[in-house]
Amino acid sequence: MTDAGPEPLPAGTPPADAPATSPPPPARAEAAVLARGHLHPAILILRLFDVLRQVGFLLVVGLVVERWFLVVALVAFLLQLGYAVARYLTLEYTLTADELRVREGILERQERRIPLDRIQDLGLESTLLRRALGLTVVLVETASGRGVEARLDALSRADADHLRDVLLAARSERLAAAPATASAAADGVADAGGAPAALPAPAPEPEWLVHQSRAGELFVRGLTDLRLGGFVITGFAAIELLDQLGFAARIAGVVDSAQDWVTQFPPVVTVAILIGVVVLVLGFGVVTATLGNLVQFHGFVLVLRGDVLQRRYGLLTTRQKTLPRARIQRVTVEQPWLRRLLGVASVKADSAGGSRTQGEDTSGGWDVVVPLTRLPDADALLPALLPGLESQAFAWQRGSRRLIARLALQGVVLALLAGAAALGAGAGTGIALAALLFVPLWALLGLLTWINLGFALGGPFLALRHGIVGRHLAYVPTARVQAVVVGQGPFAQLLGLADLTVYVMGGSPTRLPDLTLADARQLAHAIAERAAIAAAAEW
Amino acid sequence: MEPAATPRPHERLQPRVVPYWLLADGLSSLVVSALAWYLGRPLLAKYWDGWSPAWDNVLLGICLGLVALAVLTPPLSYARWRFGYLGDLLLMRYGILFVEERAVPVRRMQHVDLVRGPLERLFGLATLVVFTAGNEGSAFRVPGLSATRAQELRDQIVEARGDGRRS
Repeated sequence: MTDAGPEPLPAGTPPADAPATSPPPPARAEAAVLARGHLHPAILILRLFDVLRQVGFLLVVGLVVERWFLVVALVAFLLQLGYAVARYLTLEYTLTADELRVREGILERQERRIPLDRIQDLGLESTLLRRALGLTVVLVETASGRGVEARLDALSRADADHLRDVLLAARSERLAAAPATASAAADGVADAGGAPAALPAPAPEPEWLVHQSRAGELFVRGLTDLRLGGFVITGFAAIELLDQLGFAARIAGVVDSAQDWVTQFPPVVTVAILIGVVVLVLGFGVVTATLGNLVQFHGFVLVLRGDVLQRRYGLLTTRQKTLPRARIQRVTVEQPWLRRLLGVASVKADSAGGSRTQGEDTSGGWDVVVPLTRLPDADALLPALLPGLESQAFAWQRGSRRLIARLALQGVVLALLAGAAALGAGAGTGIALAALLFVPLWALLGLLTWINLGFALGGPFLALRHGIVGRHLAYVPTARVQAVVVGQGPFAQLLGLADLTVYVMGGSPTRLPDLTLADARQLAHAIAERAAIAAAAEW
Repeated sequence: MEPAATPRPHERLQPRVVPYWLLADGLSSLVVSALAWYLGRPLLAKYWDGWSPAWDNVLLGICLGLVALAVLTPPLSYARWRFGYLGDLLLMRYGILFVEERAVPVRRMQHVDLVRGPLERLFGLATLVVFTAGNEGSAFRVPGLSATRAQELRDQIVEARGDGRRS
């Protein structure tokens, strides 16, 4: 790891807009104000654009069709603009040692108070237009599972950076003030007495570069980012659209003539043409995916400052996201089959802020910690996300072999159902017999699943490895576990198998399929006990 | 991993939960079956051309199956249900076709609810619902407790949560 400080802190020099001159606290409970500010005036320009776009249609109608639409457009314009101006004038945010307060509204005053304990992540986002105006959107995420709790659109860059730095410093002070709970309190109670007396500007902590994406890596990420499913859907939608527009018949005609045209060639050429079409479609997908990845993750940097991870990336829309290490609920190293073949992996971290299903990217790539890197490099940087991981030796255990039997059994049931359905529908016995293919297919699936399945409990971490052709690795700190469930379906009961599901805050649950019942029970108990002990230590 | 035997929940629900479930869940399927048989069948036979005695048997089978399921489920479910409060963990084990064993660290619970519906009150029963901070499946229910036992459990949980609290 190299020490890199690409962006020096504005240490002790608060921007002009956010005076750090805190007024004397009126009451004991009221903590000192660390930062206070308003939205940046330039946001009004953006709002003006928005409003113009909204009334544009009315304007056109007014000019072309009916004059009185112009009046409607004018009224709508003034109303919207008035609302935007009012919001700009009234919105005020205040950061104290305890909480972030956002106040807004004219007729209906609303004040939102978010305790610092509850803030999971802080994201800074800036679209191209906002960047040109020097603006940044601040997104505050809490553990409510709703994701973004407060959205400040938009602050000046300096204000946003200052807010972030002060907030992180205030929180680390709070954590330090609470004894033995440094890793603490994802669900902690607010301790009113723990507020530090004086909070000067944040001390500049050194920044450690954990990972920096090279263009080559992003390129490979794009190349291996095949979203064929999306393609099929798009193609289907396009055909439907054409059908509705009445082009279907014409297209059918074209297809027929194309078919005639193709069949006049020898079969070799026909196959070549078909392959060419497939390659063309795939190529288009690869190119768009590659461009998309290059734009989205351009210049991706992951740094560690104190106990907080920070990501910065993006070409058109730049994004900055902080992720306190103490808030990480799960880290996954994901290798879909193509990436596994190439020996590369992407790393994601779930914080309690939002949830997602496995293998899916959230919009904006918020949960991506490393877009793509070689597998050994990914493994090497995991301890930066989960401190203590490097000293754990994981004794990997396998799932039960009976899982192959379970899947084969399911294949038998499927084959019987499909065969019966085929016979019932009047299809030939050949087709009905073909349904028997389900059995070896499902058995093979079971075999592949079994080969990739593994789990290990190493100190405070639960590690899980699974996949069919690809491979996913997940690490869950047992201290953050909310609940453990051992489940058995009908087939599993027959074979003495069980699934183990581990629930953590916010993120989607982690599932370990097809352990033996005894293994699952033992593991569940070990995890639950560790979680209970960790929970007791946090109080 | 510890080789020691894992503690298992052993407390059972109140036996009167069986008639309660029969009444609460069984009644509705009985009503649905009766409606389907006495109202749906004549209508179908009258207005649907494809109606044949074979369909009669299918419908009868479905209705009887529904009723049988409603009658059979409560005792089986009662026989399977175990819960326990052991060593800072709330344990439960239940399910007929899909068996689940759950363990929730008490200190991780966000809040504890005690629910008593009108019919439950009639039977002197209560349901304990505990919530964790998880997103999916964050609520865990223990039905069929006596009102006093439910209150006892809730107080135990609240006490365990509050015990180590820094003042």
